[in-house]
Amino acid sequence: MNENQNRQPLVRMVNIHKWFGRVYALRGVDFEVGQGETVGLIGDNGAGKSTLIKILSGYHRADRGEIYFEEHKVNITSPRDSRRLGIETVYQEQALAGDLSIARNIFMGREPVKNLGILDRKKMDEESMKALEELGLHLKSPNLPVKTLSGGERQGVAISRALLFEAKLIIMDEPTVALSVKEVREVLEFIRKLQKERIAVIFITHNLYHVFDVADRFVVMARGKKMADVKKEEISLDELSELVVKSALVE
Amino acid sequence: MSVTRVKLRDFLVTPSTNVYLVLVILVLVFSVFSPQYRFSDPDNIEILLSIGLEFSILALGVGLLMICGEFDLSVGSILVFSAYVFLKLFETGINPFLSLLIVLGVGALLGLTNALITVKGQIPSFVTTLGTMMFWRGFTLLLSGGKQSPCDVSISPAFLTMLNGKIGNIPVQTIWFVAFAIILGIILHFHRFGNWIYATGDNQEAARAMGINTNLVKIICFMIVGVLCAFVACSQISRTACFTSRAGEGWEFKAVAASVIGGTSLLGGIGSMGGIFAGALIISIIENGLVVMRIPYSWTYVVFGLVILFSVFSNAFVQKQSRG
Repeated sequence: MNENQNRQPLVRMVNIHKWFGRVYALRGVDFEVGQGETVGLIGDNGAGKSTLIKILSGYHRADRGEIYFEEHKVNITSPRDSRRLGIETVYQEQALAGDLSIARNIFMGREPVKNLGILDRKKMDEESMKALEELGLHLKSPNLPVKTLSGGERQGVAISRALLFEAKLIIMDEPTVALSVKEVREVLEFIRKLQKERIAVIFITHNLYHVFDVADRFVVMARGKKMADVKKEEISLDELSELVVKSALVE
Repeated sequence: MSVTRVKLRDFLVTPSTNVYLVLVILVLVFSVFSPQYRFSDPDNIEILLSIGLEFSILALGVGLLMICGEFDLSVGSILVFSAYVFLKLFETGINPFLSLLIVLGVGALLGLTNALITVKGQIPSFVTTLGTMMFWRGFTLLLSGGKQSPCDVSISPAFLTMLNGKIGNIPVQTIWFVAFAIILGIILHFHRFGNWIYATGDNQEAARAMGINTNLVKIICFMIVGVLCAFVACSQISRTACFTSRAGEGWEFKAVAASVIGGTSLLGGIGSMGGIFAGALIISIIENGLVVMRIPYSWTYVVFGLVILFSVFSNAFVQKQSRG
């Protein structure tokens, strides 16, 4: 993909710092995602990946640093702000309410309504099924409780939520953890569908094998710092794996 | 043919249908076995539909609050404090309708207090409301000196009719109960806010991540409970024409029981207004039925206990079935 070279940046996070009490969780991180680009964000537990992403999705606030979205400086203070910009986050397992139906989950917090705030259930049902179909997921009914679905299907529900609201960037936090091999393949297939739609993806994981196939670029983090930022064509899986190990050891 | 059978099965395998079964069985048992069929006597039905449903109105709110994942053990104390405020307002000679409005505001404020302590202090509502339960009950005892005081609202017939009269043959409490259940049911099942209540109770983190203001959802639910308590307080004091500092005693656990019987999960996120409605009715019917059967009052709680355990087991069974 040569177009990668000249991609306009969609999101730019500049010199981000974050403390949690006395823990210095992010120590001046620069992070960028291009339009339609898939970035693998890699690192051990506690490296700061999730913190960085939660700042972008409005769940935490940076103590210092700036965020630019489509080259405009933005102030993201809540998940609502971030979603308004077109940033959707698919948290690991956390984003769904198990006893609620697929449709109610997909539209959670942004329910389509008729008069007086009454839910437009027909629209909810139809559009959820449509979004799921787009991802290649054929589920029986939009009214099934989410807890009855498989792990891969659940990820599909969470991703179709993002699709439906015309996200420009989808953040996936460990989307393949706790999934079977077949389900992982499903999720990677979802990501390919998103790439076709020119939707940018941040794929957070500590499993290199899952991310290597689908990502265009890799950002390696350790102890609150960015240790490496490499394009896929510049690196092999083995080199990347060595890089991750070395980053974790550097003091 | 097969379609209807599938639907029938779905219908039987939902918690709230189970609870209707319990309801029907209780009504049948009490009707058949009460001496001289006194349970189904029109006079008794009227008592059940008026006095009995006062509690049920309040239980509706508690159930709603439980679906969003919180408890309110202070309902009986909010009730008695609201009743005291009504008494004091009544004694000054203010228009009772205005007094009612003020008291509803007081109830909302007490609910808001519970909510703010719980949400801002990040204290489990079980503990918060255990505290406010003791506080408001004690405070009311302190102010009233534990004395009963007359409070005869019959000088305003319109007011009395609104809270304790009849429309046709139906006691107004029944109409209020059904009306509140319908309104809360619409909010819970058909309104956007209902989805927020479920999401908050089911997975608060997810709800927050999806931009739902879960604190606000809880605050509103606590306030709904407070307002219902205040409403019942006014209804009760109009009926008895008397303030007593023991009003609402023991209602907190009965209300939780009603919700649990109706299929509400103690962990939040699960429950339906239909189920809570039936659960609230069941508690009132048991209380009334045992009295009519001349069974000593001490048995009431034994039967409550059995019905709660039966409901919880059958709901657990049903959930296992529907998952499999």
